[in-house]
Amino acid sequence: MQNHDTPTIALDGVTKRFGDECAVDDITLAVNHGELCVLVGTSGCGKSTTLRMINRLIEHSDGQIRIEGQQIRSFDPDQLRRRIGYAIQSTGLFPHWSVSRNIGLVPRLLKWPPDRIAARVSELMAMLDLDPETFSDKYPAQLSGGQAQRVGVARALAADPDVLLMDEPFGALDPITRESLQDELLHLQGQLKKTIVFVTHDMDEALKLADRIVVMRAGHIVQQGKPADLLARPADSFVESLLGGRDLGLKHASLVPVAMRMSALNGECLPDDESVLDTDSLRDALSVMLWRDTFRLLVRDVNGNPIGILHWRDAIRGDDA
Amino acid sequence: MIRSPSNSVLVTLMLAALLTLLAVDVATLQPNRIVAGEGYSLRAIMGLDGLLLSLLPFMFATWLAWFANARRYVVIVVILLVYWVSWPWGMSLFAQAMIEPGQQAARVGIGPGLWVLLFLLLLMVLEVQTRLGMPHLGRWLLWSAILVSVAVPFWSGVLNDLALVREYQGNADDFAAALQYHTLLVGAVVVISLTLAVAMALAMRSHDGLKRSVFAILSVIQTIPSLALFGLLLAPLAWLSSQFPLLADLGVQGIGWAPAALALIGYSLLPMTRNTYVALDSIDPNVTEAARGMGMSRWQVFFHVRLPLALPVIVEGIRITSVQAIGLAAVAALIGAGGLGTFVFQGLGQAAMDLVLLGAVPIIVMAVLVDMALSGLAAVCRRGVANAEP
Repeated sequence: MQNHDTPTIALDGVTKRFGDECAVDDITLAVNHGELCVLVGTSGCGKSTTLRMINRLIEHSDGQIRIEGQQIRSFDPDQLRRRIGYAIQSTGLFPHWSVSRNIGLVPRLLKWPPDRIAARVSELMAMLDLDPETFSDKYPAQLSGGQAQRVGVARALAADPDVLLMDEPFGALDPITRESLQDELLHLQGQLKKTIVFVTHDMDEALKLADRIVVMRAGHIVQQGKPADLLARPADSFVESLLGGRDLGLKHASLVPVAMRMSALNGECLPDDESVLDTDSLRDALSVMLWRDTFRLLVRDVNGNPIGILHWRDAIRGDDA
Repeated sequence: MIRSPSNSVLVTLMLAALLTLLAVDVATLQPNRIVAGEGYSLRAIMGLDGLLLSLLPFMFATWLAWFANARRYVVIVVILLVYWVSWPWGMSLFAQAMIEPGQQAARVGIGPGLWVLLFLLLLMVLEVQTRLGMPHLGRWLLWSAILVSVAVPFWSGVLNDLALVREYQGNADDFAAALQYHTLLVGAVVVISLTLAVAMALAMRSHDGLKRSVFAILSVIQTIPSLALFGLLLAPLAWLSSQFPLLADLGVQGIGWAPAALALIGYSLLPMTRNTYVALDSIDPNVTEAARGMGMSRWQVFFHVRLPLALPVIVEGIRITSVQAIGLAAVAALIGAGGLGTFVFQGLGQAAMDLVLLGAVPIIVMAVLVDMALSGLAAVCRRGVANAEP
């Protein structure tokens, strides 16, 4: 039974010391069911350590960590980890195992019957856009970076865990592949509603994916909140610089859809190529305006029908933030 | 107009072989075991016509090698094999012609020219095999054929007048025992040092300080000359066996198998431990981290991830160690450890070179066979692990 009052993952006064050094200092954090929580910060801020304490790859020194209300110390570590999906930047795929065997790892550890494993593996490959015909028998070294990361995510999802931990999973990919995998993760999350803790140093990635962003610095949580809240009210200059300093305005614009600022069409005739979708962000719209050297853009819906007009004055007015 | 040869290695080897056959004695005739033999050149045996006739195919092969292509390499390898197969039969004919029925002690020997030719022939086959890019199975078949084509005349009695065979017949029982003992000694040494090496490599991985001291000690052992190491072990082992009757009952003495095995293990430990350590250490930590993170137990990580990934390099270590131990075990005969080395040192003592060969040739064959078998095994393991490119 899922009790929606208890957070799925709860950290309470959690501290990790390596010798005299305090890597994570008295962190309190609650991640609710179905929430995608992104830990973001510069390298060495303790975000990865925090993540790895949740599946006990690192044991915490002080405080309490609970999953669905139960202390993680009360579980056998191996059993605990088999219940938690885990994906990392380097994928960590086994080079001597085929793709399908890699994906089936955790179900096999859980001693599922072979036909159930096979069915689950092909289901996951379809879900992550990996053609089973082509990829089942390939080995990790034969995959591109993006494909390998898909396999890594599929492996993390294999036993259908409620909780997913992702440690910079897209950090080593080229920007285009990264973006498409981010879109796919959002799409998957829309269907699966997993509780995800996602670590990244890339604030753009955090803003794009997160339901909630947790900014960490030197083992402390500096600020946490919805992406829009962070952009509107950065707690201090550190958060502001993470958000990109003078880039902040554009970052904010990237969270606002054009539909929110457009006005009705009054029979104006605008050139066809100077148009945006209503679901595009204001940032995209402003970029098109700069590029096309124009003050107004036609807004279309997904079917291509003109539904409104966006004036630059409305685009840059900031009263709804 | 003359082009430069398309395979200069092969052409050089072939010209060297031709020169050897023309200039150096290929066979010897000894009236008895001890007296130095009288050398015979190929021309002296076959006459000028016979010499030219017998060299004709070889000259043809040289021409093919000069203008080589894939199909010609196949022809070349066939010609080389024909020469390889025919030498024992030629030797037999030579013996029949030269030895009168009454001469019990007389024997023929392989002359320096023939040794060189055989060596060059093997090099040529190796070269052609590389150029043809033969698969593992093909290489195995080729080398098995080479081995069998020599083994058959040896055992069928065709070469009964060859000095080497005479020495074998004089020592047949000893030979079988020595061969078995040699194999057993090397096998035991490899198994024991592999076990120790795995244990030490695992210990070194968990205790960082251990690594430097262990490798320092093993390197020092490696630098001690083998005979000196046998000598060093003599006194302590003799003392141990006098103190503990149980050890003495087991056959532990200052000389014999005990110091030989200990010294061989000492030499084997460095390559074995180094390879095992490097193999286990070079595994991508991200892979083991992911394995742990997925919920594999330490044992599962070791047996399903670490060991299979490390196996090719560990097998390489076993290969190096085995070949080294096969050679070193020959020296151990000096301290009464037995094995094929016994014949080498007996032969040296009696100035009977063919007795030396009776020990040396099987050692070489054994080393080559083990080397091939374990390289093949390493390649199979590597295919299971890397799968790098299709």
